[in-house]
Amino acid sequence: MSHLILDKVSVLYGGQKAPAVERVSLDVGKGDFVVLVGRSGCGKTSLLNVAAGLVEPAGGLATVGGRPITGPGPNRAVVFQNDALFPWLTARENVAFALRLRGVSADKRTRRADELLALVKLGGAGDKRIWELSGGMRQRVGLARALAAEPEFLLLDEPLGALDALTRERMQTTLLDLWAAAQVGVLMVTHGIEEALVLATRIVVLAPGPGHVVRTFETDFGRRYAAGEPIRAIKADPAFAASRAELTDAIFEGEAA
Amino acid sequence: MSVGAYSERARAKAGENDGFSVPWSRPRPKPRRAVSARLVSAITILVLLAAWTAAASLQLVSPVFLPSPAAVWAKFVVVARDGFVDATLLQHILASLWRVFAALIAAIVVGVPVGLAIGISRIGRGVFDPLLEFLRPIPPLAYLPLIIIWFGIGEPSKILVIAIAMLAPVALSTAAGVRGVSRERVDAARSLGATRAQLIRHVILPSALPSILTGLRIALGAGWSTLVAAELVAATRGLGFMIQSAAQFLVTDVVVMGILVIAIIAFALEFIIRRIERVLVPWAGRE
Repeated sequence: MSHLILDKVSVLYGGQKAPAVERVSLDVGKGDFVVLVGRSGCGKTSLLNVAAGLVEPAGGLATVGGRPITGPGPNRAVVFQNDALFPWLTARENVAFALRLRGVSADKRTRRADELLALVKLGGAGDKRIWELSGGMRQRVGLARALAAEPEFLLLDEPLGALDALTRERMQTTLLDLWAAAQVGVLMVTHGIEEALVLATRIVVLAPGPGHVVRTFETDFGRRYAAGEPIRAIKADPAFAASRAELTDAIFEGEAA
Repeated sequence: MSVGAYSERARAKAGENDGFSVPWSRPRPKPRRAVSARLVSAITILVLLAAWTAAASLQLVSPVFLPSPAAVWAKFVVVARDGFVDATLLQHILASLWRVFAALIAAIVVGVPVGLAIGISRIGRGVFDPLLEFLRPIPPLAYLPLIIIWFGIGEPSKILVIAIAMLAPVALSTAAGVRGVSRERVDAARSLGATRAQLIRHVILPSALPSILTGLRIALGAGWSTLVAAELVAATRGLGFMIQSAAQFLVTDVVVMGILVIAIIAFALEFIIRRIERVLVPWAGRE
């Protein structure tokens, strides 16, 4: 089984003395939903970029399936906070982009793109232009586009950060549905404490100066949703509230109150 | 350069919508007896025409210096039908348009790759940036003699003069567009498996297209205003040539008519390119 592993990874940006991240280790297996949380400047996005192959670690080793990560690859699709869609293409063509790069025939990629659009509940919006879509719909297109590459891992950089609260809540369940359907490992960065709890199988709490791991929580709320329990019931569970308090404490631990 | 052009577009949009229409602002009540800018423009032009007519008909200025609008119009009809210096007006126009468009194509073929090189590679920027910055401020009349010495007085020289004037706007707008491509868009494409060539072809060029088109619009303006200089030497047709020949014989009405035709065509070209922009890059300004 394929694993995405960061082993004692440090990140140092050019022109800076202090590392952004120091000796952080992560292990994302297929079927895992790992969420990175922490205050600003704790290196969440840096770690995600290392996993994506967009940033080279200054120390440590990043591997996927046992091979060192040397650059971006279609086995690790990234979704950004701002959708980064291509406005000259329709929603369907955006989703089919990875397939077009691989030379898949127009017929096949249209069919696959429509399947994926249906999966993110955008069936019928395939011919829409990107600027005709709302923020939430764009992010769905972004997810479908990432899944089209048939990645083993989805790397999500605050994918719901730019959405309004109601849309975000709906997108959380969409993410869980996709995660369960696509059988991928997810590494996600978020600012939302509740969001982390709802989605994650494991939450990694980071603290800044330089970025390091403070605590790791194993949670099962996401799996419970995937198993069929309604999201409202999960959020109403006293265990959920207790976990939220514990997680909040961990994030603000060591910070002068 | 492209920044200015974009704000220009934004302002045009705002004008169309009659003020800003942000969703949270109520439509501003219209002030009573508002005068539209278009009406003012129309009145200005009419007043100028009237002044021109009056000055000409009262013989305030000799017709040799200032022919009346009616005389210019009459000349327009005559030249359109019978021609001037061995060519009809249409033939003059087509000769000029052909030179400008041939130059435009040359400027695109050279300028877009150069702009791309400036935008994506440090070496490209190091090589081409100083050259363009050197070339850009030189008036065409200054390098025209050199081009004639090098390439003779034939058609290629004329096209080359215009193309050189167009090169910098095309290349610099392309470079600006390429540099403006969002990092996330590039990273997303790379993580979807795009190679460097695919990245340029499928992401960078389309992203830069709005800026490239703005550059073409500026280049057409620059090229069109270089036309008269280009047709100074050994031309037998063309609007610039027509004006100069007329000036030599003090046929002032043809000179004035030629100037107006050049202005109207420039206006039409601008209009057409804006239309093309709207069709080709409907997303510009909406992201």
